[in-house]
Amino acid sequence: MPLLELRNVVKKYRVGREVITALNGVDLAVEAGEFIAILGTSGSGKTTLLNVAAGLEKPTRGEVIFRGVVLNKLKEWQKVAFRRKQMGFIFQSYNLIPALTAQENVAMPLLFDNVPPRERNRRAAKALKHMGLQDRSKHKPTEMSGGQQQRVAIARALVHQPRIIFADELTGNLDSQTTYEIMCSLQATVREQGQTLLLVTHDRDVARFADRIIFMVDGKIVSEERGGFNHV
Amino acid sequence: MKSYDLLSLAYRNLWRRKGRTILTVLGVVIGTTAIVVMLSLGIGLVDSQKKQMEQWGSLNMIRVHQSYSFPGEPGEEQQRLLTDEAIEEIKAIEGVVAVSPAYEVSGEAKLGKKVGYIQLVGIDPAMMEMLEFKAAHGRLLTAGDKFNVVAGSWVINNLWDPNDTLDRWEEPPQGDPLELLNKRLSLTLMNARQQKRIYSLNVVGILSDDSMENANTVFGPLAEIKKMRAFVEQGGQSSPDIPVFPGVDVEVKEPPRSRQRQQQVDQYSFALVRTADVALTRSISQELRDRGFNAYSMADSLEGIEDVARQMQAVLGGIGAITLLVAAIGITNTMVMSIYERTREIAIMKVVGASFADIRTMFLAESSLIGIIGGIIGIGLSYLISYLLNTYIGAAIGAGMGGEGTVLQVSLIPPWLVFFAVAFSMAIGLISGLYPANRAIRLDPITAMRHG
Repeated sequence: MPLLELRNVVKKYRVGREVITALNGVDLAVEAGEFIAILGTSGSGKTTLLNVAAGLEKPTRGEVIFRGVVLNKLKEWQKVAFRRKQMGFIFQSYNLIPALTAQENVAMPLLFDNVPPRERNRRAAKALKHMGLQDRSKHKPTEMSGGQQQRVAIARALVHQPRIIFADELTGNLDSQTTYEIMCSLQATVREQGQTLLLVTHDRDVARFADRIIFMVDGKIVSEERGGFNHV
Repeated sequence: MKSYDLLSLAYRNLWRRKGRTILTVLGVVIGTTAIVVMLSLGIGLVDSQKKQMEQWGSLNMIRVHQSYSFPGEPGEEQQRLLTDEAIEEIKAIEGVVAVSPAYEVSGEAKLGKKVGYIQLVGIDPAMMEMLEFKAAHGRLLTAGDKFNVVAGSWVINNLWDPNDTLDRWEEPPQGDPLELLNKRLSLTLMNARQQKRIYSLNVVGILSDDSMENANTVFGPLAEIKKMRAFVEQGGQSSPDIPVFPGVDVEVKEPPRSRQRQQQVDQYSFALVRTADVALTRSISQELRDRGFNAYSMADSLEGIEDVARQMQAVLGGIGAITLLVAAIGITNTMVMSIYERTREIAIMKVVGASFADIRTMFLAESSLIGIIGGIIGIGLSYLISYLLNTYIGAAIGAGMGGEGTVLQVSLIPPWLVFFAVAFSMAIGLISGLYPANRAIRLDPITAMRHG
């Protein structure tokens, strides 16, 4: 049984009087431990696919099944529980909370999971160290470079050891050198911990780190390629 | 989310916008202070009136007389006499703590060279303490006493040396009540047949002067005074009229109106009733009147004052409440602004696992915190204002009323008001946060992150 499965997922938006079809019958099965990149131009529906797969958006039709549970039929609080325990998120614009330090940002998923402060800080520090940011733990996001901020965001996505990580254009704001470094360490981490990674990008260089590369055009999966670029 | 995390997060979020938070808190401070100070004025008014009345007599005491009516007048059948049965009946009323019947006689007293008229009241010695008598010097009466008496603090001023050349129109110097203590006081009673009887009384105690009600009276054991009264009643007339001496402030008891009637000795002159509290005093006093007795208590006159104070409190409290309402709108406004600013943050929190309840409690914690902090500072400010009011205005009014150095407490903040004010301001904060918190919950994380 795949970890995550999308069955004939359709997502339509209403923009004014116009109806836009973002996803037009998508079928996708993600096995546990797989690293999948969804490659497409902007407007191809790849971000919508990610949001629907993570349960952040409801599909207009079709089913999203996560570990045998139909995600799109769950109540909001049940989806929240899933996200809190089993999902990690990385965004293009980092989405860190400016008022909190790096360590507090990383510890946030644990905060909502009622992990006591001491344990929370220990695990956050460990995750930051893993991303090479041990000496930045007390810094606020504004005091860090884009690459460092994204590493903090990755540490936040990994701190609660989720089964699956959703990453949306995570290197969109980074230069090529930083992109390369971040992709290398992310690939190494998920392989090492056997985690599943679903990554959305328009950048072929990023997509080639994945085990599988899926091409999207106009809300449909058109082709698939094997990736598996190994930096080692 | 754990409560300490919630609190620290709320505190830090508020502190991010210091200026705005301080201004919002200031609104609550002003609102709370307005309510507390306004209410404290009403409470202070009632309290100072109570204290003043307590100087004249205890608010827990009722004096019961029999009701009089002249023969042939309507209502004669309904008149209530103070017999032993009546005393038992009063005792049985719920809320009555102690009752003592009393006989009174008056006569000429002599203390060494000094002479004067005194009023002697016989009461049940065992009940003295229960009836709120307090001895300033010596002791109260006990069950074994016969010709031992306790004198009111002003009694000494009713006795004077006839050879003294003091100008009677001048206010005599105040006597020392201790002059009476452990002294022999001889009392001459006369009945209608012009027979005289002289009693030698031993003063064993002086009453404390915090109540003016009993200041001019000498108290003795009921049984002995009853015998004295029996002697006086012989010949069908009560005690001779008390002459009024100019310049001497003698409390003159109105002679009973039933003089035409032969008063029987088994009817008491009056009865003292002690109740559990002021509220009961009022209801029992009314009850006694309903049953046909003549009952009077200091607490009866308190009611009117309290009515005025209640109206004053309603008006003043209303003004304070409006101020706090404005502050509540301020909190709501601040929280809505804060949600606009933090739209993206709320969305992030939702994505990484914050539940609806987490988001809601987060915002409610912030708004309640504004309320509590405002409330606590408001209480502090209220105490300061209350202190200033009492020191300056209270002292000015007090000096006008009771001479230099008398401070009238115009503003009084009881502990319950402190507790109420903080709880109320917190509730205001909580309620003000409900609408913004629900807005935050409804925020769609995807849209918020895209545009935020």
